[in-house]
Amino acid sequence: MKTAVFWGCCILTSQYAYEMSLRQVLPKFDIELVDLPEAICCGDPIKSVNDFSANYLAARALSLANLTGLENLLVPCNRCHFTISEAKKTIQNNTKIGQKIVGLLKEEGLEYNPNIKMWHTIDLLHDYVGLKRIKKAVIKPLKGLKVASHVGCQIIRYTDLGRVDDAENPKKLDELISALGAEAVDYPEKLDCCGAALTRSHPDSALSLAGSKLKAVQNLPADGMVVSCPECQLMFDAKQKDAGTTVGAKLNVPVVYYTQLLGLALGIDEKKLGLELNQSPVDQLQAKICV
Amino acid sequence: MGLSDLMSMAKPNIEARDKILARIGGKELVNCFQCIKCTSGCTALKLLELKPHEIIKLVNLGFVDELPSSDIIWTCVTCLKCVQRCPQKASPYHVIIALRNLAVEKEAKVPEGYLKAVSQILETGQVDTYQKIVTRKMETVDRECLKLPKICPPKESFQVVFMKAMEEKTT
Repeated sequence: MKTAVFWGCCILTSQYAYEMSLRQVLPKFDIELVDLPEAICCGDPIKSVNDFSANYLAARALSLANLTGLENLLVPCNRCHFTISEAKKTIQNNTKIGQKIVGLLKEEGLEYNPNIKMWHTIDLLHDYVGLKRIKKAVIKPLKGLKVASHVGCQIIRYTDLGRVDDAENPKKLDELISALGAEAVDYPEKLDCCGAALTRSHPDSALSLAGSKLKAVQNLPADGMVVSCPECQLMFDAKQKDAGTTVGAKLNVPVVYYTQLLGLALGIDEKKLGLELNQSPVDQLQAKICV
Repeated sequence: MGLSDLMSMAKPNIEARDKILARIGGKELVNCFQCIKCTSGCTALKLLELKPHEIIKLVNLGFVDELPSSDIIWTCVTCLKCVQRCPQKASPYHVIIALRNLAVEKEAKVPEGYLKAVSQILETGQVDTYQKIVTRKMETVDRECLKLPKICPPKESFQVVFMKAMEEKTT
């Protein structure tokens, strides 16, 4: 399958490990990524400022995907995936807003196409590639590895919008982890939010939310945490030290993208998966795999 | 200032309430029967004392003039649990977003981070600035040395159209 990909801002400007690992693992399942001609914001951060413009930006992202002529679009960021999904719904349900947005896009010679099938990393791997194919492709099973999964908020809520997994009991990421031979441990804080969205207004509280969840994960019989959203990774990995200071705990939790873990199981060189870019102590987790 | 203070000081404004209803494109808001499912699951409750059911009640009673200038609307983490769990589809998250938009229009106090986001998008098309990363081995890396493709900014025409979109009001 050939699919267009909308990376959003966070991945392209700092979360390179997600991009690198996606570019490495997807071709193993015959998925070819086609970058969009322009990089723009999905609109998420300005929903709070002007909802209309946010919807316009999201619609513009879909129009850029339309330029590729492809029928599928991968949106690996949870927040971008939500914003674009919600914009599609608004444009469909509110003709006044829809017409205005289509008109604005036309000014740039862009055409809005709501029929492109949207994927997130989780459903692309779980539903399209399938667990069987992933299991077959695994060269180095991650036997003995125990991890806590963090799906994030915006790809599972809210159901009326059509989301990637169940809102209260998401299982796909755990199943994807099990497919690699590792064990996904269940824990009460599983659905807790990373806090990233508070960064613009209450940065300390954002860190506090991330820190509380990391503290809970640190107390689990688990070797690390697996995420699938660049904003969550930013909070749990890059900001782990600050989060620890905020909640008064010494945090030492390896945090990786699912695609990085998948890459390791597929035998891909760790450098190509950007593992050196993770700021949390992922060496601990890798050591477990090598044993 | 607490939310109950807002009520004791203000007069209800039904017209303003209808504006919020128009913004969220539905009347489900008025169906709220205060079951407090939203607040009991709210991510921002413990830390920042956000109580979504109170906001819904205030809006329903027409106490909407003060809400946009209250700090409380900026404490929502947008985890969407309230939207998911509301049995009446009153969707506190969408009400909060509508109130934030209203705050911007009224030129009330808006956290700087959000306004910065707008200027950043206008400037580069993206909301985050491009960063070099220091690896755990203390090497500084950028997209080029990681062999990642160059970022292509939007065409110049984008700025003009984005500005037009920003002038649009949601109502």
